[in-house]
Amino acid sequence: MPHIAANGQELHYQLLGEGGEGDTPCVFAHGLLIDNLSSWYFGAAPLVATKRRAICYDLRGHGLSSQAAAGYDVATGAADLVALLDALELGEVDLAGQSYGALIALRVALDHPERVRRLVLCEAPLPPSRLEEMAGVLQADPDELLAMLPDSLREAFTSGKRRAKKAAQRLERLLTQTTLVADLQAEGDLPDEVLGQVLQPTLLLYGEASSCRGVGDRLGELIPDARLEALDGGHYLAAERAAEVGGIIQEFLDG
Amino acid sequence: MTTLTTISGLIQEVIGEDWDLEEEITLETTFSEDLELESIEFVSLAEKMQATFGDDVDFVNWLSEKELDEVIDLKVGDVVEFIDACRT
Repeated sequence: MPHIAANGQELHYQLLGEGGEGDTPCVFAHGLLIDNLSSWYFGAAPLVATKRRAICYDLRGHGLSSQAAAGYDVATGAADLVALLDALELGEVDLAGQSYGALIALRVALDHPERVRRLVLCEAPLPPSRLEEMAGVLQADPDELLAMLPDSLREAFTSGKRRAKKAAQRLERLLTQTTLVADLQAEGDLPDEVLGQVLQPTLLLYGEASSCRGVGDRLGELIPDARLEALDGGHYLAAERAAEVGGIIQEFLDG
Repeated sequence: MTTLTTISGLIQEVIGEDWDLEEEITLETTFSEDLELESIEFVSLAEKMQATFGDDVDFVNWLSEKELDEVIDLKVGDVVEFIDACRT
C-alpha cells in the first residue's frame, strides 16, 4: 500500500499505467464520506491509464489515508493535493475530480495554473453544502442519508454484516469526530468572476438526474474554455457510468 | 501451491484481524456476499496480486472492463481462471 507524506498527512495513492515520455499524468480526486480512490481506480482511471500515468489517491480521512481530525475544507484539500504532486515529483498534471474532489481540483487549477494542464470536473457541487446528497448528511438524519446512497451501498449498509459495520463506523467517525461537517457548512460558493478566471480547458461531466445538474450549466457559461457533457445518471456519476466517463475523459485529455 | 491457495492467502492478509470466515475459501466463494470485501480492500487485493503474480496479470484493467453487477457477483473462481489464463 503506497503511502506518501504530504502536508502533514500520510496519503495513500495508487499508480496506474506507465505513460510515455512527454505525457501529462492525470491525478484523480474522489468525493467525500462514502467515497475513496476505488471509484476512480476500478472505474475510469484504468482506461485513462492506457495512454498516460494515472494517479488515484485517498483524501485525508478517507480510504487508507491518515484519519485526520480536521482540514476537510477545500483549501486544505487543495494544499494536500499540491503537496502530493510535489512529493511524487509531478510537475504539470491533468486533474480529474468527482464531487468534492472536483472542487479541490478546481481550487488547485485556480491557484496553481502552471501546474494544471487540463481539468475534469465531474459533478462539482457549488456551493457544496447545498448539494441534496450532502444536505442529508449535514442534517445527520440516518434514514434520509440511507435513502440517498447508491443502491449497492445502501444494500451493504442495511445488511448488518462486516462491510456494513465498517462503512457505518467510518461514516460515524467522519461525521462526529472530525471537523468535516463544520468545514463543509462553512464552505462558500465561488463567485462568477473567480470561475471566469479558470484558464485550463475544462471538461464538465454531470448526471441528468443529479441534484447539482444546474451547476454544470453555470460552470459551462462562466469557465471560458469549458465543454459540458450531461450523461444519464445521478450524482455518483464517476462510479455509475465509469466506462463512459473514462472514454470521454480519455478523448478530452488527448484532444 | 495452487492459484486458489495463493489467492486465499492474499484475501486473508487483506481482511486481516476481521477474518472470521469459518468455511474455507473455494472457487465458488463470492467477494461481495460471502467475503464482504470492501472496495478499498479490493484495491489492496489488486496490489497484492500484482506483487505476487507480476505485471502480466492486469487485474485492475480486467475488473474495470466489467459492469458493476458483474463485479458484485464475482467469485474467487473467476479470478483464479483469469490469473491462470494470463500465465499460460
